[in-house]
Amino acid sequence: MSIVPKETIEVTAQSIGINNLSPDAALALAPDVEYRLREIMQEAIKCMRHSKRNLLTTEDVDSALRLRNVEPIYGFASGSGDPLRFRRALGHRDLFYVDDKDVDFKDVIEAPLPKAPLDCSVVCHWLAIEGVQPAIPENAPVEVIRAPSETKLPEQKEDGLPVDIRLPVKHVLSRELQLYFDKITELVVSRSDSVLFKEALASLATDSGLHPLVPYFTCFIADEVSHGLSNFPLLFALMRLVWSLLQNPHIHIEPYLHQLMPSVVTCLVAKRLGNRLADNHWELRDFTATVVASICKRFSHVYNNLQTRLTKTLLHAFLDPKRAITQHYGAIQGLAALGPNVVRLLVVPNLETYLRLLEPEMLLEKQKNEMKRHEAWRVYGALLSAAGQSIYDRLKMFPSMPSPPASTVWKTNFRIIHSCSANKRRTPADLLEEQPPAEKIGNDGALVPLSNNSSDMETDKDPAALGDSSAGRSSPKDIRESHSERRQKRDQLEKRILRTPALLNQAWKDDLDSGRLLLLLFELFGESIFPFIPSPEMAFFL
Amino acid sequence: MDEEDIEKAVMTYLKKKGFKQTELAFQEEQQRQHPKTALNSTNSHVDPEIACQILSFSSELENNPAQYHEGYGKLRSWAYSSLDLYKHELLRVLYPVFVHCFMDLIAKGHIQEARTLFNSFREDHEMMHARDLQKLEGVLSPSHLEEMEFAHSLRQSKFNIKICQYSYDLLLQYLHKTQSVVMLGLINEHINFQVSPGQPTSISDDAEVVTFMGSGQDATNLINQKEIHWGLLEDSLEERLEKAGALVPDSAKVDGEAREGEVEENKKRPYEGGKQGASLKKSKKDKVATATGKASRVETSTVSVAPRVKPELTLPSIPAEVEHSILEDLRNRVQLSSAALPSISFYTFINTHNGLNCASISQDGSLVAGGFSDSSLKVWDMAKLGQQTGYATSQIVEDSYPSDSLLGANSGRKSYTLFQGHSGPVYSATFSPFGDYILSSSSDSTIRLWSTNLNTNLVCYKGHNYPVWDVQFSPVGHYFASSSHDRTARIWSMDRMQPLRIMAGHLSDVDCLQWHVNCNYIATGSSDKTVRLWDVQSGECVRIFIGHRSMILSLAMSPDGRYMASGDEDGTVMMWELASGRCISPLVGHTSCVWTLAFSCEGSLLASGSADCTVKLWDVTASTKLLKTEDNKTGSINRLRSLKTLPTKSTPVYSLQFSRRNLLFAAGVLSKNT
Repeated sequence: MSIVPKETIEVTAQSIGINNLSPDAALALAPDVEYRLREIMQEAIKCMRHSKRNLLTTEDVDSALRLRNVEPIYGFASGSGDPLRFRRALGHRDLFYVDDKDVDFKDVIEAPLPKAPLDCSVVCHWLAIEGVQPAIPENAPVEVIRAPSETKLPEQKEDGLPVDIRLPVKHVLSRELQLYFDKITELVVSRSDSVLFKEALASLATDSGLHPLVPYFTCFIADEVSHGLSNFPLLFALMRLVWSLLQNPHIHIEPYLHQLMPSVVTCLVAKRLGNRLADNHWELRDFTATVVASICKRFSHVYNNLQTRLTKTLLHAFLDPKRAITQHYGAIQGLAALGPNVVRLLVVPNLETYLRLLEPEMLLEKQKNEMKRHEAWRVYGALLSAAGQSIYDRLKMFPSMPSPPASTVWKTNFRIIHSCSANKRRTPADLLEEQPPAEKIGNDGALVPLSNNSSDMETDKDPAALGDSSAGRSSPKDIRESHSERRQKRDQLEKRILRTPALLNQAWKDDLDSGRLLLLLFELFGESIFPFIPSPEMAFFL
Repeated sequence: MDEEDIEKAVMTYLKKKGFKQTELAFQEEQQRQHPKTALNSTNSHVDPEIACQILSFSSELENNPAQYHEGYGKLRSWAYSSLDLYKHELLRVLYPVFVHCFMDLIAKGHIQEARTLFNSFREDHEMMHARDLQKLEGVLSPSHLEEMEFAHSLRQSKFNIKICQYSYDLLLQYLHKTQSVVMLGLINEHINFQVSPGQPTSISDDAEVVTFMGSGQDATNLINQKEIHWGLLEDSLEERLEKAGALVPDSAKVDGEAREGEVEENKKRPYEGGKQGASLKKSKKDKVATATGKASRVETSTVSVAPRVKPELTLPSIPAEVEHSILEDLRNRVQLSSAALPSISFYTFINTHNGLNCASISQDGSLVAGGFSDSSLKVWDMAKLGQQTGYATSQIVEDSYPSDSLLGANSGRKSYTLFQGHSGPVYSATFSPFGDYILSSSSDSTIRLWSTNLNTNLVCYKGHNYPVWDVQFSPVGHYFASSSHDRTARIWSMDRMQPLRIMAGHLSDVDCLQWHVNCNYIATGSSDKTVRLWDVQSGECVRIFIGHRSMILSLAMSPDGRYMASGDEDGTVMMWELASGRCISPLVGHTSCVWTLAFSCEGSLLASGSADCTVKLWDVTASTKLLKTEDNKTGSINRLRSLKTLPTKSTPVYSLQFSRRNLLFAAGVLSKNT
């Protein structure tokens, strides 16, 4: 009848020494015990509410007992790590006891003092500013609002209230994709040399449906690059990952480029990549340069300032003499990868001054550190290759022409000089043209030993490194450049003269520039530039 | 059939029941009174059937407790199978009948039957009356009925049920037809029908139709008819500012006068007794002020200005510089509305180890007090706290930073001032309006007054016999009110050891209280689910607000003195109009205890803080306007609009306080397990 059975009463009676409690008394007491219990609980709940809690604690029960002038029950503290539990006595279905462990005094005394609990304090933050919750860590994240807001939305609309909670975009990542991501990242970090990684890269480059992972990949790449600059294999693996992502036609990587670019550029122009001598960071830089170039090619129409910003960064690295030589190398490679035009416009004008700086580094007698010297030669090679590519591209533009009558050329030449008086470059260029032999001799005198020296060094040290230049290295030739240049110019003019005057103007300038460029490059690099000059032009040249 | 027959019937009844002692006593008495009865017998024309009725009635009742079960079961199935249109009205009858059946059975000692009845039908009422059922479940003997205040009040009073004419007829027909005397008796005894002609009311009004009257409906009505003056105090600072703002050229003059008046007052203060003082002086000043600014005032105050009332208490004077700063605050007050929501600064208590019982914020938000279950009261100076965190970055500066708190020496690098003195959990703390005193109430049944300037205990007020749940300073300071487990609320003044008034009347603990803005009334919320309004001067109860379904936890008074908001354990907030004593609208939205409520300074917004870790902002003006246009129709339609819900990061909101400039301060404890 009562939830307290009379047996409980009897047991309790026995425990306090009343052995002859009549069953009737127990029966009568049981309901009263239940009532008193409920009464105590009611008071305890009041105490709980006034302590502004929703969880009833033993303290509440104690204070409720005190309210009723009853001695509180000692020994039951809530909140301690090990709550007291009731155990069922063996062999009895309904006999329970409190599992009270014996505690050895020695253990208690020897136990180290627990840490003092942190003292209470108050921190202040803005819950709302003019009714809008600022997105600060102290406030509940917006996601928490989302769930109820979905249900409340119609209700609020009924009231005609402006709903200013913008629902965040749900970004659900399927379990499969998560596994895929975990697997790929694991491969990148730990086993980038395995066959599996190659497979993974292939998958990344081709699989559709990877788009949801792109933000995670970009984050991952940025994180790993910033933390793992000394881990060469990791960096290389990451760049290959970037390359694969770029290759994938199903991924729209544009929105994440701004996150991706800093890491990529870092891999290009960082001072140190990898921490061991064996790490072939040159290769990484070359590879990254191609990545950068491909990004520029693909997205320069979307982001107008992408290439400008990139070239600015690279040029800055290139022109800063304080930067390490490795950084210069990266910058040159990056610029070279962006195309011959970039090289012609940005690298070549600075070539002379730069080589002057580089020269002492390359000479055996001036730079004793072999490593440094090697690096300098590397940069020299890169510069040569870049400049060569640029001039090759330049010359390639001009198809070989039948030589026109000289008189026309001179006429046009004359006319143009007059028509475009604004062209100030012409004058020095012409002057230059007039006096090539003398200069040539001077240059030859300066450069020939140097180039000899260089070729010796290259063959000694690292023949493969400058493969492109050494392959085409040929015996020194006598150069009648002024002649050939004039011939070329004449050809060009001959051809363009038939077109509109504006075009002609431009063409003349271009032509003149390329002539100058070739001259300049020859002055700087000597004959090593020749392999880059296509054969018909070379013929003219010669 | 005459009297003798009745006596015979009684005799047979007694014999039948085996009441031998009573039988003997009855016989004796009969013989003694016989001549008297014989005389009377001629006048009394007793219905002969009465005896039979009594006989059958009583025998049936006594012999057959199962009748209750059966009768109730029949009534229930009849109600459930009645016409759909009238069904919900008829179902309302079931709960009172059920409760009284149960209590009757208990009272007659049929505990077992009472249990079975209770358990078989409790499901029906679980949804609406879960808490009551929980309480009743524990009643297991007649003595409990007497002891338990809830059961006692149920027995004493009547349920009030609104019902339409036809439903009422249906019910009567049924009761007559089935001859279920028990049910009829119960319904007659305990239910008061308010029969209304016409169609039955809609189901949605359920909350208001079945009301349980604590002391009988008539009494409540009587109390609620008393006149109350809910207007603002004459010559409040707000009013003065309004005037000053209205006549810009004269403002300096008025201000100057005001200050002169203050100075004069302060001078006179020591000589004249407490009685005259402020009110007289101020009313004089008021006259001067109104004379200068009457014309403009009429213009500015076309928007229904609350009526002004004279204070019934002697009000303390406000120091000139304090008054000045208040006026400055009022001038810089941000106007809040449904379009312009307040900024909320949140004070989060961390590392409290579940020990914080209450939090309180001073009017300007610079001081925060926390009452702890380890009997301590801790006060943080937020201005200083900011400095110290700034110093924390540079160690050297912090070390050389002189701690100017009195307890600095022993409290070391603590960021707070520790007040120790209570011998039980501190349940409430309140700042005086100017932040120079703190009152705290504790489970040790005392209230202590602390000075924030001296960092020490000034007075210990002893008067309550049980834990003091709540203490609140009056809006003007000096006076304060306390509420306790001993079912009373008391009014005190700072300079007296004994309470000035004791308000008794609640049927259970008085859990919270709030002063009316004009200091003439206090409102108290209780575990008996009612809110009462008391006149401070007379100590009488002037309003009873009935409608909450559970314990009242928080109260707030609107700054214009017209409305009151109350929040309960279930998360319901109710808005009351003081003059009529009626509920304007229940605000539903919170899912757990509403710990705190606060009106913005111009009364356009209500903020509520709850255990469900949210602060909600409600639009007050919209709902009150609605009320006017709809001309006091049923309250449930015009709900207060919820403007905004601001969730905290698992921090139940313990306290809310609008500063005079309408910045909202909130405090709560970061709790990981909720």
